[in-house]
Amino acid sequence: MADMILTQNFGLESLKTLKGYTALGGYRAAAKALKEMTPAQVLEEVKKSGLRGRGGAGFPAGLKWSFVPAKTDKRIYLCINADEGEPGTFKDRFIMSRNPHAVIEGAVITSYAVGIHTAYVYIRGEYETVARVLEEAIGEAYGGGYLGRGILGTDFFLELTLHRGAGSYICGEETALLDSLEGKRGWPRLKPPFPAVVGLFGSPTVINNVETMANIPAIILHGSDHFRQVGLPRDSGTRLFGVSGPVRKPGLYELPVGVSLRELIFEHAGGLKDGRTLKAVIPGGLSAPVLTAAEVDIALDLDSLARAGSMLGSAAVIVIDEETPILAVLKKVTGFFAHESCGQCTPCRLGTAWMDKVVTRMEEGHGERGDLDTLLRLAAGIKGRTLCPMGDAAALPVLALVQKFRPELEAGLT
Amino acid sequence: MVKFDLDDKVLEVAEGTTIFQAALQAGLSIPHFCYHPAFAPEGSCRMCLVEIEGLPKLELSCSTVVREGMKVKTRSEKVVEARRSVLEFLLAEHPLDCPICDKAGECKLQDYYEDYGLYQSAFAEFKEKREKKVPLGKTQVLDRERCVLCTRCTRFLDQVTRTGELGIFERGNRSEVGIYDQTPVDNNYSGCLSEICPVGAITDTDFRFKTRAWFLEPGDSICPHCGRGCNITIEHVPGFPRVPGSRRVYRIKSRPNAEVNGHWMCDVGRYNYAFLDTGRQERIMMKDRGWGVEPAWDSVIRFLAAQLTSLVSGEARGRVGVMASAHLTNEELFLMKRMFLQDMGIRKIFLIDPREGAPDGFLLTAERVPNTRGATEIGLKCGLPDLTGLAGGLDLLILFGTDLFERFEPDETKALLETVGIKVLFTSRQGPGNDAMDIVLPATPAAEKAGSFTNLKGRVQSFVPVRTACGEALAEWIVLVRLAVELKLDPGFYEGLTNVEDIRAALARDVLFFGPRS
Repeated sequence: MADMILTQNFGLESLKTLKGYTALGGYRAAAKALKEMTPAQVLEEVKKSGLRGRGGAGFPAGLKWSFVPAKTDKRIYLCINADEGEPGTFKDRFIMSRNPHAVIEGAVITSYAVGIHTAYVYIRGEYETVARVLEEAIGEAYGGGYLGRGILGTDFFLELTLHRGAGSYICGEETALLDSLEGKRGWPRLKPPFPAVVGLFGSPTVINNVETMANIPAIILHGSDHFRQVGLPRDSGTRLFGVSGPVRKPGLYELPVGVSLRELIFEHAGGLKDGRTLKAVIPGGLSAPVLTAAEVDIALDLDSLARAGSMLGSAAVIVIDEETPILAVLKKVTGFFAHESCGQCTPCRLGTAWMDKVVTRMEEGHGERGDLDTLLRLAAGIKGRTLCPMGDAAALPVLALVQKFRPELEAGLT
Repeated sequence: MVKFDLDDKVLEVAEGTTIFQAALQAGLSIPHFCYHPAFAPEGSCRMCLVEIEGLPKLELSCSTVVREGMKVKTRSEKVVEARRSVLEFLLAEHPLDCPICDKAGECKLQDYYEDYGLYQSAFAEFKEKREKKVPLGKTQVLDRERCVLCTRCTRFLDQVTRTGELGIFERGNRSEVGIYDQTPVDNNYSGCLSEICPVGAITDTDFRFKTRAWFLEPGDSICPHCGRGCNITIEHVPGFPRVPGSRRVYRIKSRPNAEVNGHWMCDVGRYNYAFLDTGRQERIMMKDRGWGVEPAWDSVIRFLAAQLTSLVSGEARGRVGVMASAHLTNEELFLMKRMFLQDMGIRKIFLIDPREGAPDGFLLTAERVPNTRGATEIGLKCGLPDLTGLAGGLDLLILFGTDLFERFEPDETKALLETVGIKVLFTSRQGPGNDAMDIVLPATPAAEKAGSFTNLKGRVQSFVPVRTACGEALAEWIVLVRLAVELKLDPGFYEGLTNVEDIRAALARDVLFFGPRS
C-alpha cells in the first residue's frame, strides 16, 4: 500500500540487518539531516509535519523537542519509550523486531536536531527476543558508522544504549521511566518540572515513543509536505492499529490516521469470526473508555475519539463480541490496574484495589444492588485526582463500562 | 510580592510561595499527610488539593506556586468532597484501632476524619491483614495497617540522615515500608521517625503504651545534653505524680528552629530524660558534724555565709575552693564569677572540663554540656584542677553539680576530700559522691528553672521552667543571690536581683558578648 511508512517492507527478513535496511534506502534521511540541514531546519520540518506522539498522549513531537532549553550547560538526553505496557498493544514490538534501524535512524536525526549525544531505549523487560534484535541492530549501526563518533563522516556523535526494564506498567509513564532508568524505584514524578527541562539525571530530556521515532526518517527524507498528505491536517501520517479479539484477521494494520473504526474492524480485520456479533470496542488500549457497537462509525484519530469521550491512546483496538460478558471485561480492567498501580498516591493505590475487590466479588456471584454506584463513586474519586495519568487510565474505562453497560451488569446482581 | 485570593480574602506573599505556605502564613493549615516543611513537595497523599478558578482539575496546594491574581478556594464543595474521598480511601483499609493507638489525639488521620469523615463506611470488602509490629531497629516499631505511605520516614532517612535504611517495597495496595538488606535503623536520629509519622504507623518503644497524648502538658525548653542547644518540647504530667515513684516526663520532642536544629533532634537528647524523675536529690542532706545547723535553706545559707565571711575576712580566702560546670546557665555562671572572684577575691574557681563524647557529624557535638561557650564568654575557662595539689589547702569546698567521683580517680578524690574541712555539693541527683559531702543541697535541672544557655555557635537561648521543682530543690541562681545578700556583698546590686531577667540585664551590662547586638 502506498500509504505505508513503517511496515511496507515488514515481510523482508533482510530489513532487520543494516545491509538490508540501507539497500532499501535506509539512513539516507540521517545523511540528509546531518549533511544538508541545520538542526533548526530538522526541528522545523518535524514541527511542520504535524507528527503527534504515538505513545498515547498525542503531544506534537516537534513542539515537545522545542521545550528543551536552547541554552543549557547540562547534557541533554533522549529516551525512547519502548515499554509498551498498555494491554492490547503490540505495535512497537513489531517495529523494533522487524524494522529496528528505523528507530535508530529516528534517534540519530532527533538527537542531531536537539543537540543530544546520549540516548537510551527503555524496553520492557518481557521483550527479551525483541531486545536481542534491537541490540544486534544497534551493534551493527555502531559498526557501520551510524552511531558512535563521526556519524556518516560528520563530526556528530551519539551513544545509544538499550536498557531493559523489569516489568512494570507504570514505567511506561515517562517520569517513572526516568526514575527506573536512573536505577530507582519506578515512581512517577511530580510535574512540573517537565522532563524537557528537568528529566534524566536532572537534565533536559526528550522522551518519545518507538513509533514516533520510526516516523522521523520518512519526514526528513520526503519532507513534511509529503508526510502530511496522509492522515489529517492536525494529526498526520499513519498509525499502526493493533487489532485483537474475535475478528477473522487479528493483527497489526498500518493505516492513515482518521480511518474509520468500522472500516478497520470489518474490512481490514475481516469482521467478526464464526458469525459473532460486535458488542463493544476498546479503541486505544485497555485504559481507553469503551465504545458500544453503535459507536463504531468514528474516525480513528486523537481528536475524534477525545470528542467521543474515549481516546486513541496506543491505537490498540480490542474487539468485544456479544458472547463476552462485560463483567469479564470490567474484571480485566480493574484487575490489571490494581495490580499495576505503583502505590505512590492515595486514590490510585487504594481506589484501584477497592474497585477490584468489588468487581471480584461481583464475578464470584456476590454482587449487590449498590455495587455499580459504588464503582462509579470510587472511579470519580480517582479521576483527575492522582499524581500521574494512570489514575485516569484506571478510572475512565470503569466509568464507561458501568455507564454504557449498566443493564447487563445489573442483571447479574442480587 | 504577589497578590492573590485565598477563600475570597486578598493576600500578598513573596514570589515563589506555594499556596500551602501562603495559607499557613495566613493562619490556615491545609489538610496534608505527605507534606513536611523540611522536604520538597511530594504530592502523593492528595489531601491538600485545592480549587483554582479557571482550572478544570483540583491542584496540589503543596507544590503549586502562587501567581498574581490567582483565585484559590480551600473550602469549596469540590475541595471538601475530594478530601472526603481521599480519607475514605485511606480509612477503607485502616484498622480503626484508635483506642489502642499511641498516636490517638495527635494523629492527622483522626483529626481530619473528625473534620471531613463520612463516618459511615461504605467499604464492604475484606480488609488486608498486614503486620502490626515490625521492628524497624532502635526504638521504632512499624504498624503496616496504619501506614498511609506518605514516605516521610523514607525521605527523612534518604535526605536528612542519608542512611537510607527504609524503602517502599512491593506496589499498589501491597506497597509497604520496609528495611533494606536486613539493616535496621541504627542512627542517632531514629526517634525523629515516630515524630514525623503523621499517623500511628511508626511508634516509639520508649513511649508506646505508657500514657495518652492528651494527659501530657508540653513545655518549651533547650536540650542540655550537648553544645548544640536543640530546641525541644518536654511533655510531662503536670503537678506532682499521684503514685510515688511514677514518672512525670514521658517524652522529649524536637521544636523547629531553622537556626539551630531544623526540625530534628538526636536520640541522645531525646531519650535521656530519666534523670529528671529518678535518682533525684530531693531534700537537703546534712551530716551531723556538731555545727548545730538545721537542714533548711535559711539556716544552711546563714551557715555558709558565716563560714565564707570568717575565711575571707581572716585573709584565708585561699582556703576556699569553688568547682562548677558548664551545666549552669549564663546567669548562674555570671553570678558565681562576680560573687566568688570579684567580690570575695576567691581565686580557686574551677570549671570542671566535662568528658567529651564522639560528635555524630550532624547535631550532636563532642561537648556534652550545654554552656561551654557561655562560660568562656563570661570568662570562666574549663579545665581539670590538680586535686593532689589542692589537698590540704582547703577549708571549704563548694561544688555546683559536679560529682568529683565521676570525673576523677576515686583515690585521688578521696585523698582531697579527706583534707577539706567543709564540703558542700549543689546537685539535682543522687550520685556516688553525695555521701562524701557534709552538706548536699538539692538543685534544679534546666527543665525546672529559668535561665539561658549559649550554644557553641554563640546563640544565647533562654528558657523558663517547664515544671515545678522537685522536692525542696531550688535553682542555683536563687541560692546564689540569697547567699550574696546574706554576705552583704554589694547590697545595691544583689538586693535588686529578684528574677533571672534582672541577672541577665546585669550580665548584658557587664559582658559585651551578652550586650545588645546591632
